[in-house]
Amino acid sequence: MRLRLLALLSLTALIAVACDPGDPIDPEDPTAEVEETPPVDEEPDDPAEPTAGGTLVAAIGGDPDQLDPHTTTSSFAFTVLENIYDTLVQPASDLTMEPALAESWEVSDDLLTWTFNLRQDVSFHDGTEFTAEDVVASFERIAEEGENAFRLDAIEEYVIVDDHTVQFELNRVAPNLLEQIGPFAGLAIAPAAAIEAGTLADEPVGTGAFQFVSFTPGDSVEIERNPDYWGGEVPLDGIRFQVIPDEGVKLTSLETGEVDWIDSVPPEQVDGLAGRDDVVLGQVAGNDYWYMALNNDREPFDDERVRRAIAFALDIDVITEAAKFDAATPNETAIPETSFWYHDYAPFGHDPAQAETLLEEAGVSDLTIDLMVSGEFPETVTAAQIIESQLGAVGITVEIRDEDFSTWLADQGEGEFDAFALGWLGNIDPDDFYYAQHHSEGAFNFHGFSDAELDTLLDDARVETDEDTRKELYDAAAERIVDQASYIYFYNPDIVTAWAPDVQGYEVAPHGQRRFNNVSLDR
Amino acid sequence: MAGYVAKRVAQSLLALLGVSVVVFALIHLVPGDPVRTALGTRFDQELYEVLRARAGLDQPLVVQYFDWLFRALQGDLGVSFRTGQPVTEALMQRLPATALLAVSAVLVGLVIALPAGIISAVRQGKVSDYVANAFSQIGVSIPDFWYGILLILLFAQTLRWLPPFGYTSLLEDPVDGLQRLIMPALTTGVVTGAILTRFVRSSVLEAMNSEHVRFARAKGLPQRHVFRHHVLRNAWNPIVTITGLQLGTLLGGIVVVEVVFAWPGIGRLALTAVERRDYPVLQGAVLLIAAAFLIINLVVDLLYAKLDPRIRSS
Amino acid sequence: MSDDRPDQPPSDEPAEEPRQPSAEQPELERPEGEHRPQWRQTLAILLSNRAAAVGLVVLIVMVLTAVFADQLIRFPINEDNIANRFAPPSADHWFGTDDLGRDVYSRVVMGARVSLQVAAISVTISLVAGTLLGLIAGYRGGWLDTVTMRAVDVAFAFPAVLLAIALVAVFGPSLRNTMIAIGIVFTPIFARVVRGSVLSVREDLYIRAIRSLGASDGRIILRHVLPNVAAPVIVQTSLSLAFAILLEAALSFVGAGVQRPTPAWGLMLADAQRFIAQGWWLSVFPGMAIFVTVMAFNLMGDGLRDALDPRQRTLIEARGAGGGEDE
Repeated sequence: MRLRLLALLSLTALIAVACDPGDPIDPEDPTAEVEETPPVDEEPDDPAEPTAGGTLVAAIGGDPDQLDPHTTTSSFAFTVLENIYDTLVQPASDLTMEPALAESWEVSDDLLTWTFNLRQDVSFHDGTEFTAEDVVASFERIAEEGENAFRLDAIEEYVIVDDHTVQFELNRVAPNLLEQIGPFAGLAIAPAAAIEAGTLADEPVGTGAFQFVSFTPGDSVEIERNPDYWGGEVPLDGIRFQVIPDEGVKLTSLETGEVDWIDSVPPEQVDGLAGRDDVVLGQVAGNDYWYMALNNDREPFDDERVRRAIAFALDIDVITEAAKFDAATPNETAIPETSFWYHDYAPFGHDPAQAETLLEEAGVSDLTIDLMVSGEFPETVTAAQIIESQLGAVGITVEIRDEDFSTWLADQGEGEFDAFALGWLGNIDPDDFYYAQHHSEGAFNFHGFSDAELDTLLDDARVETDEDTRKELYDAAAERIVDQASYIYFYNPDIVTAWAPDVQGYEVAPHGQRRFNNVSLDR
Repeated sequence: MAGYVAKRVAQSLLALLGVSVVVFALIHLVPGDPVRTALGTRFDQELYEVLRARAGLDQPLVVQYFDWLFRALQGDLGVSFRTGQPVTEALMQRLPATALLAVSAVLVGLVIALPAGIISAVRQGKVSDYVANAFSQIGVSIPDFWYGILLILLFAQTLRWLPPFGYTSLLEDPVDGLQRLIMPALTTGVVTGAILTRFVRSSVLEAMNSEHVRFARAKGLPQRHVFRHHVLRNAWNPIVTITGLQLGTLLGGIVVVEVVFAWPGIGRLALTAVERRDYPVLQGAVLLIAAAFLIINLVVDLLYAKLDPRIRSS
Repeated sequence: MSDDRPDQPPSDEPAEEPRQPSAEQPELERPEGEHRPQWRQTLAILLSNRAAAVGLVVLIVMVLTAVFADQLIRFPINEDNIANRFAPPSADHWFGTDDLGRDVYSRVVMGARVSLQVAAISVTISLVAGTLLGLIAGYRGGWLDTVTMRAVDVAFAFPAVLLAIALVAVFGPSLRNTMIAIGIVFTPIFARVVRGSVLSVREDLYIRAIRSLGASDGRIILRHVLPNVAAPVIVQTSLSLAFAILLEAALSFVGAGVQRPTPAWGLMLADAQRFIAQGWWLSVFPGMAIFVTVMAFNLMGDGLRDALDPRQRTLIEARGAGGGEDE
């Protein structure tokens, strides 16, 4: 997990840059691989008949809290579920959306009706045929009780045209609709019958390359090959996801051959692993970001000067180095350099003198901050200790509160914090980066930030179809967010995974999905 | 004897009842609404009502308690706030790992303590006595989780002889299971052994100084005979007792070692439940641990009393 | 950490009965005036016990370390220096540096203050509360005694570590709450020890005599009962201090104790396990500090037991109960 954790809603929202279906644009190649080790004897796309069979043991950093794709927020659950479920469209490695359960789609001239043509050769693991009814049932459920309901708020109505055609009627123009409905298993298509019966939590049934076998909480999840997978022959017999909470232990297990693949590599180990021949390291610049937020509903954090003072007092280069070693890039804004939407803007730097001046102007002294972090994401704990020491230098006391993540979430929801540090995962469309977090009506604006002008910018950008204009709007929004220190951004981490040399065909996706449908074991 | 048994059983039941009250009270000690807290941002009125009703939180306290107790007696400890899994089921899944570790630790402990304690008692004041004493002193002073980390550092990180963590059922894969058991069992076993060594030593010493043994020796019986038939036999009861008690303590007391070795036992289940404020699971785990402890205590006491009539009469 | 430290009496059954009273308190009827020589004699016996003497010396060193920690540290304890992270022990950094480049030696030294402070305060809490409970229960007897002792039974059925963790979770993790939680966890042990001693004294001829002469309860307790309870309580205090240090370290280790960046030894070990591949010094020195301190308290406790009440130990151990048993 660690790397991939989910920020509240696990969003692996991968929106590419594309706005128009059928017209995938990908100006900058956001995948920008920085693969450190050219995988040793690895030939990912070698069609020369992979040795079929075998069970891959994959280590995941924690227990899936549940296996219902629509209601879980656990990145560990998604690692499993991404291999069991499919979505209508899915991210390609260049971050554009490609067909999955939907074969093709058309958009009406007024941009408000999207028609999806579904694949006709797909059946669920229980044998029932996949139809438009399942799509509608799934989306309706997500909209009603799913963690990702907010992704669907542009959709007014679902219309079943025939068994394999479904129309989405929108209530506003949504240039990023594909990126909202296809990024990850939170938007999974499940059988209507299972949704009706309410059995999804106990028995995952999807259309994916693997089908569910068993789940032993605290220990492992087992899945096996789906012999009828619509995406072609699946080489592996099955996968056992072994829960290994400790990072060091996880890596050691890979080295000793206990497991074949690990979901993340502790950043401190990355350097040591590069160039080894017994472990293959996959490292890709990711689209996640980590940050700190101050509670605008509490004094004195409602004062922009105080928030800015804190931003000036922090040295994000040190925070990044401390928390992620060489596996991240410091960034004063949210969107990474590798993205089309990147805006080069860094007004703060490290300026403690400026911080003290601002605090004095604001008339704040003897400030104590209750900073909430979670040991489930050790980088937040590490960052917190650096923050404590850097803010200490300008006379601000930081009290670190390390909580279990579920408790953390509860406290966040109730506004029980002065400040918190966390990350957001896998966002790609700028709307994902900003709207829910900073719009005064945003679903995840837990820190109570409110700025009318920003709201206008975000509302406008959301429905803007001209890409350049849209980028300008988002650049302006980014500056307002950074200037007022709604979030104080730290860095964009790399996605780092590692596997044994005999694992063939695994690709590290910049959007963070972990799929094993093309993976084989060379034993 | 019957009176004594009745008295001890009654006492244990009373304690268990007390435990159940405390465990029950736990959920109400916490500031705020536990169900609400457990739901966190996933708050949903309907689910909230269901969980509250399921936990019986909408009833008067006394009613809630007896309701809960009644269901607990039938093996129904409610469902986890987090996963929806029945608590009893979760406990049963974790029990084998904890039981295996506790029993192994006691075995390791005995393997160390019996020879060490006896030799140390027989050669009181000699070098071997000092060595045994030093060992037991070190063993009771060493933080076991630290010692576990050192073992990982040595056997897994440096030598790569053993897997660093985890649990495999011995029934499923005996070889793998044993390999994984070694370090956690050594970690808890050495500490247990250190404690047991002290008791073995003093039990043997006391037996050696008892009038009964002195008399046997005075009669001119051969040393070996005296030792085997009089000293050891006398020392045996307290050793059995303390070993049983250690087992009872271990069943609930290996939380931190379970954390170090990612051992999927009851202790770690309870710890996670505390962290996640998953009160039904915490209640269930604590109740199980406490009940196991009381029962083992009771059995040991009764055995002891049976073996040593002096206790009953006193 | 397991709960199986020698100061946890697993059962109080034997405590129910007044036990071999004759052997119990040999100097019961000794006039009060002779207490000071007894104190000196204790120290003399203690020092003649080589192990206990070593323990005492180590403890004095630890206490001095804690008191003068500000002078002994070589770097500010929370000063990070990322450029110099994971540096092995050297002339500059005696115990190396940690993941943030902080000086491990300075943090271990300051950790002594945290550890001893928690131990001292939490044991004081349990000492006071437990002694009061034990005195009242033992001296008053009757239903008060029954209720108290049954409550103690219940308390003992909970594993100490888990109980402490749960209490900290209820109160919220902090230095203060850690101390309170540990204090609560240890209170029953003291209650039982004191109550046992009181029982053995209460029916003593001497006490009966002065009671019949009209001495008030308060006076009897203060002048006659308490002094007799002192020996086992002192021994128990020393052993509990050892256990408190272990318990505090365990709580910090699992994240249920004091919070970062406080340099608690247990917290340092938790980080050390994460960075086990980066440096052995991270785990070795903080662990060593815990070990040495706990060992010193244990050696002291054993020495005190030998010095103050030589019969206690063998009796306890023969009975198969913990060192907290109430002889």
